[in-house]
Amino acid sequence: MIDTVTQFLSDNVGLIVGAVKAAVIAVALLSSVPILVWLERRLMGRFQVRLGPNRVGPFGLGQPFADAVKLLFKESIIQGSADKFLFFLAPAVVVFTAIVTFSAIPFGASFTLFGQEIGPHVANINVGLLFVFAISSMGIYGIVLAGLASNNKYSLMGGLRSSAQMISYELTLGLAALGVIIVSGSLNLVEIVEDQSVVPNIILQPLAFILFFTAGIAETNRAPFDLPEAEQELVAGFHTEYTGMKFAMFFMGEYVNMITMSAMVTVLFLGGWNAYIFEFMVPPVIGPIIVFASKVFILLCVFIWLRSTFPRIRYDRLMTFGWKVLLPLAVLNLMVSGFIKVVL
Amino acid sequence: MFDLAYQTIVAIIGGTAILASFGVILCASPIYSALYLISNMICLALLFLLYNAEFIAAVQIIVYAGAVMILFLFIIALLGAKKEEKTSSWEKPAAFTFIPVLFGELLMALTMDEGRPVQGRFTEEFIANVGSAQAVGLELFSRHLIPFELASILLLAATVGVICLAKFPAKVGGRRVK
Repeated sequence: MIDTVTQFLSDNVGLIVGAVKAAVIAVALLSSVPILVWLERRLMGRFQVRLGPNRVGPFGLGQPFADAVKLLFKESIIQGSADKFLFFLAPAVVVFTAIVTFSAIPFGASFTLFGQEIGPHVANINVGLLFVFAISSMGIYGIVLAGLASNNKYSLMGGLRSSAQMISYELTLGLAALGVIIVSGSLNLVEIVEDQSVVPNIILQPLAFILFFTAGIAETNRAPFDLPEAEQELVAGFHTEYTGMKFAMFFMGEYVNMITMSAMVTVLFLGGWNAYIFEFMVPPVIGPIIVFASKVFILLCVFIWLRSTFPRIRYDRLMTFGWKVLLPLAVLNLMVSGFIKVVL
Repeated sequence: MFDLAYQTIVAIIGGTAILASFGVILCASPIYSALYLISNMICLALLFLLYNAEFIAAVQIIVYAGAVMILFLFIIALLGAKKEEKTSSWEKPAAFTFIPVLFGELLMALTMDEGRPVQGRFTEEFIANVGSAQAVGLELFSRHLIPFELASILLLAATVGVICLAKFPAKVGGRRVK
């Protein structure tokens, strides 16, 4: 019995390593959400010259736990005219796609552990970049379905707005990423990072970086592009009717998407786990992961900084900005980088 | 080569795709029909993935499941998702006659001869060497460049046509009609 089990284990090491990695990364992602919420509230407090949460525990660190307990025990209200199945499906789709998107992102150089070469990513996919775009585009369904299933005007308008916004900005996102693909000649995210071991893509593709980051903020529905939940006009947008943990799942999806987007910017433009001039300070194995995490952390702080700095822009301006400014610039960037690649 | 686990997964995904396509035509509510269509497309993408065509799989999800179906849901949301009423018409018996015809054709194709893989310059080794995305790109932008560009012009013309129809009132008999 034990022999067959050990035989099975040694035959399927890859499978087991993959499953363990998937579980570890999913748990790490989900547990970083409350910390990120805490960080956002503290930083926003500082930016707006107030204290932020500071009553529960040291530095208000108990606040996320208190919030989580509150959300878990809240009564789940579903209005009678809602489509029950779709109402339950929508938050699940949002969280599922948010977590699965992260599975393609490599966040460290591969190392050897117990004679096994382990790459710090769930899957090293040949078309990793396309995989990320494919799965994150599926996340829009969660928002549209939430709007449709709630049977509420505000929800429907919020859902439609956000899907229109995400479809529009996805184009810019993809075209900006194409500039990186032209430079590195690969769709594999590990190869894209290894290609930047000397010069990060932000120096080669500065315009693409700005476009990608701007479109990324819009894609994650963050301020100043958080039109789907414009409180003044739409109550809370697509999640008006959601309470308790289902509401928290939309929240979780948004924050995981924020982390994924920061990780994508790090991989595509900031050279992933390459530390460049600080390379001598980086310890082996754990070092590259720390480098990657600190780059992601800085980008997350920029996300929060932008939220507390800019007011929300008007909906028609948002669409005009996406289609008439960002998209032509992205096409221009693509043409110029293609031209440079062919000529040089 | 017959790998039982692999074939079982292929069969399960294929069966799910068929069930989902039944759902598309049997569902009364348009939202659920659209959702079944999405799941059908995801199943197709998984089948592509199982046949090692990861680029096609990703494109299938991005273009069909991601972009086209979102617009379907959009239209359903804007027009209001009312349930369809059952009506009897002559189309139904006609559709049922197509089923045996199609399956008969499939059966004929199966019994005629053993299937042969298409011979081309993209052998398995070549694709393993350069990756499926590069193989598709090479083929599309070298041998099929002119059809590719023509198709893009066709799509552009269609887009311009849609904008003209939607934005500017049509002239009927020299008169502007609102």
